[in-house]
Amino acid sequence: MDKNLDEHSNSFPHEDKENNTNAADHTPRSPLLESEDNVVDGDGETEKAGDVDNVEREAGDEKKEEENEEGVSFEDTPETPPPNLEKLLEDIDKFFAATTYDNNDNNEEMIPEFVDKFLYLVEEKIARYDSNQTKWGETVEEDSLLLEGVNRVSKLVKFLTTIITDFQSGEEEKKEGDEEEDKKGDEEEEKEEKKIKKNHSVLLNRVGAIQQRAMAYLEEEFRLLMEESRIQNKPDSSHDAKGKHAATPEPSENESAETFMDFPGFKEEAVTILNKIAREMLFAGYDSECCHLYAVSRKHGFGDGLYRLGYERISMEEVHKMQWESLEREIPTWINTFKECATVWFPGERKLAASIFAEHLSVADTLYTNLTRVVVFQLLNFAESVAMTKRAAEKLFKFLDMYETLRDTIPNLDKLYPEEIVYEIKAEMTSAKNRLGEVAVLIFCELENSIKSDTGKTPVAGGAVHPLTRYIINYLRLACEYKDTLEEVFKEHSKIERADSTSRPNYDNQSQNENQKSNEKENVSPFAAQLTRLMELLDANLEGKAKLYKEVPLSCIFMMNNGRYIVQKIKGSGEIYAVMGETWCRKRSTELRTYHKNYQIESWSKILSCLSPKGLNDNGKVHKPVLKERFKSFNALFEEIHKTQSTWVVSDEQLQSELRVSISALVIPAYRSFLGRFSQYLDPGRQTEKYIKFQAEDIETYIDELFDGNPHHQAMVRKKA
Amino acid sequence: MPATTENNQSSFLGRISIRRNQVMSMEGNHDQELEDLELFQKHVGDRFADLLSSTTEDPSSDALLSIGWLRKLLDELLCCEAEFKAVVMMGRDPSQISKPPLDKLLPELLDRVVKSLDVCNAVTLGLDAIRNLQRLAEIAVVALEPRPMGDGQVRRAKKALHSLVTVMVHEDKECGSTKGTERSRSFGRRGGNAGNKDRVRSLSWTMARNWSAAKQIHAMSSNLAAPRGGDLTGLALPLYIMSTALVFVMWTLAAAIPCQERNGLGTHLPFPRQLPWAQPMIGLQEKIAEEWKKKEKKGSVGLLEEMQKMEKVGQLLIEFADSFQFPAENERLDEVRVHVEELADICRKMEEGLEPLQLQIREVFHRLVRTRTEFLHVLDQAGKLSTPTV
Repeated sequence: MDKNLDEHSNSFPHEDKENNTNAADHTPRSPLLESEDNVVDGDGETEKAGDVDNVEREAGDEKKEEENEEGVSFEDTPETPPPNLEKLLEDIDKFFAATTYDNNDNNEEMIPEFVDKFLYLVEEKIARYDSNQTKWGETVEEDSLLLEGVNRVSKLVKFLTTIITDFQSGEEEKKEGDEEEDKKGDEEEEKEEKKIKKNHSVLLNRVGAIQQRAMAYLEEEFRLLMEESRIQNKPDSSHDAKGKHAATPEPSENESAETFMDFPGFKEEAVTILNKIAREMLFAGYDSECCHLYAVSRKHGFGDGLYRLGYERISMEEVHKMQWESLEREIPTWINTFKECATVWFPGERKLAASIFAEHLSVADTLYTNLTRVVVFQLLNFAESVAMTKRAAEKLFKFLDMYETLRDTIPNLDKLYPEEIVYEIKAEMTSAKNRLGEVAVLIFCELENSIKSDTGKTPVAGGAVHPLTRYIINYLRLACEYKDTLEEVFKEHSKIERADSTSRPNYDNQSQNENQKSNEKENVSPFAAQLTRLMELLDANLEGKAKLYKEVPLSCIFMMNNGRYIVQKIKGSGEIYAVMGETWCRKRSTELRTYHKNYQIESWSKILSCLSPKGLNDNGKVHKPVLKERFKSFNALFEEIHKTQSTWVVSDEQLQSELRVSISALVIPAYRSFLGRFSQYLDPGRQTEKYIKFQAEDIETYIDELFDGNPHHQAMVRKKA
Repeated sequence: MPATTENNQSSFLGRISIRRNQVMSMEGNHDQELEDLELFQKHVGDRFADLLSSTTEDPSSDALLSIGWLRKLLDELLCCEAEFKAVVMMGRDPSQISKPPLDKLLPELLDRVVKSLDVCNAVTLGLDAIRNLQRLAEIAVVALEPRPMGDGQVRRAKKALHSLVTVMVHEDKECGSTKGTERSRSFGRRGGNAGNKDRVRSLSWTMARNWSAAKQIHAMSSNLAAPRGGDLTGLALPLYIMSTALVFVMWTLAAAIPCQERNGLGTHLPFPRQLPWAQPMIGLQEKIAEEWKKKEKKGSVGLLEEMQKMEKVGQLLIEFADSFQFPAENERLDEVRVHVEELADICRKMEEGLEPLQLQIREVFHRLVRTRTEFLHVLDQAGKLSTPTV
């Protein structure tokens, strides 16, 4: 090494001293300069230039070339340049180690001669790759040798640039101090330095050109690898790319989970190579090129991925105008996409960037952030625009699904994003989440309106369960499957309401009511309060509807039917039962019993009074005409009740049998004993037949026909009559 | 949020709270209302006049359609919007907003708001694409800055500049006609034929299929009719002013920043010549439309001042690179240094300005969403009041 250095330092002064002008430098004087001219030739012709170079060199250094090809090592003969690249790499490393070790000014000038050989070999190697004589990926050794070579080229560029800049700044200093110094004595030295500088810059030009060519090649290789890697990922799942709703949700979910588990699906060796290339490009200062390629490729890769998930961008206006039926179908796709992104794709994307740019994690973070931020914003825009659509009760559950998706993702953002950006993303996501939450609360509160505005004047036939009851209760049951989310949304929303207190008079009133109520009953959440209020409103509405019936017992049946339906449904669902509470249910059951009692009184007290022995016994004597009258009116009343009440409806079997049992218990024993006591006073035969129309068993049968909603029973009565 | 908006809002809110109290005493608030309306008109006029003058009188200020200028424009929009809401909504009886002619005009405005949101999104994507252009330009700057200038650097710069210029044209073309290209674009070279040197691929994300900035803006402005007669003193006027400002700003954004499908963007917006507050807007519109016409002929990328410059300097530097020979003459180097510095300056402006601009557009987005929600709420209230509950 030392020897080399010495030799080289001698070799420079040999060169033409007159050559001070920059322009007229066309005669090749040393291998260094000779190759230079060729490289200058032009952009598109680099390859050719390389070939020409080869030819010229072959002519000049035939011997060396042969030796090189044979791979014979010549390190011990200083005149012959070291022929193989590995050895040259070592030499260059040694050279760098030495120069950085004692970094004094004089060393700068001494560029060892083997640098020339090295450059020649590297250039040749690049040319072979560039012209596809050597293909990337054929032999790992060759590839890494190329990268090693490129690495040293980059080092040379840096080294030479430093020398030249140092020299320039030194020159400027010199100029300043010129006056004091002895000009004559310096002149020679200065000339010398200028010449060296010129040689250096000529060398730098050559090295820079080689570097550029290498970078252009690596750039292309990097790009192809990126593209191939993402194309490889395609065929497995291209079949569901045809239509967004092609696959049924369930299996496709599983499928996609499998396919994209290792999103973005780059092969490990590809990542290793990409990392190596990226490292060299970044080392060479070609980071912008590398990042640009990466960013563009991933953008398209990610876009394709989204498309394959069935996610298609819809403009906000389109969402706004869409029919709910269509929009409803987009929402699960969105949720699926969002979750896939948040749990698999984004982490995968971040990992990919971090593996390829392993030595420059801040670069990786920036690339990752810039890519995914756009995706996140687009996804959030959909959520925002969904929240902007016209409110409707049926949308609540889908909105809550979306809300939950966002809510569950937000806490993970810290893991997904670098610190600098996480705040912004979080704010955006929270904004979309809140918007959905606000709308959910409004929709839920608007149920009040749909209860209040149900003011139809036609009673439901037979006192059956009102459609409004069915709708509201089933809706609430469903809503209570989202109980925790709704609780949360209600709490969050009242916070928001307080935060911006711009004119919302009506809601303020509502929340005041809420506050009052929650003062009354402690620990009642706003959601539970709202639910209770809805129940009360429903009750009030039903009571109004009950009044529409002309017969009081029928309105009792109506209230029982509806009340029963409500209690049963609420008991049947753990979630809503938990909110409404046991006390509430017990209270409702008590109310139901009251209605039952009222019904009995209203419907059966009159008929029972017929069976009362009171007024029949006149001093131990049975007044026959009165008895006859009693039987007659009992028969008439019972027939009447049977006729009307068998058209009434109690569809709840238990309630139906409860009613029948209680009626039987009321009527049959009374009738039986009445019969037992007084039938003897009627003459057997015609008279008995005329007044005793029913046996106790008949009564039982007829009672069992009540509340069937079946008008044909009356015919049977008539037949019998 | 920029300080200007804050100031403007706070000073304005002070005034509004006075008005709010006066509303209570239903009598005599009509005069106050007229005064408010007049002030609103004046402020809008002044704001846009500022924007107009900053382009002509003071060369040191932000040039028309530069990033700085666009940020000012958005500031003005935000101010207008805040003041508009104060004039029309705050302290007002909801029923006033729901009766004619507002029952028709307000939903129309809200519809424009929805359309504007899409424009905001499209422009945001456009800014993302511009950032990629910036990156390419930076390569050229980095390559051409260090001395001595060698072949390698020049080739490197040339390569970057070529893709910069190609991408600019491509981006614009793509943005100009999206029909059927989206698929092929997003899938790129599906066949994966290696060695394909066609590297011209769009840098921007696409909006929804068939979405068109030009159509959107056309739809926003087509039903924009100036109030007449008695409406000129009523609430119809501020609604009209707000709509006009919104349409103008969205149109300008779409013209300046590449976004999907802009054919026909050059058509004139129907602004009222007779109303004083609209004059500066008309002035601006004429200038921008003129630029647009030139652009359409030349087929260059969006009107953003920095991009126009970037393209010009890019061309100059390509010329330099084409004729470069090592070693370069000093005069040529000095000459090119000026251009490189210019390009570096543009990149710096983009580096500093694009991110805030993007955030500001997002702010406009959120503000519009919020305002829309608030108006809908007021309309709800009005609806509830008019249909008595049982």
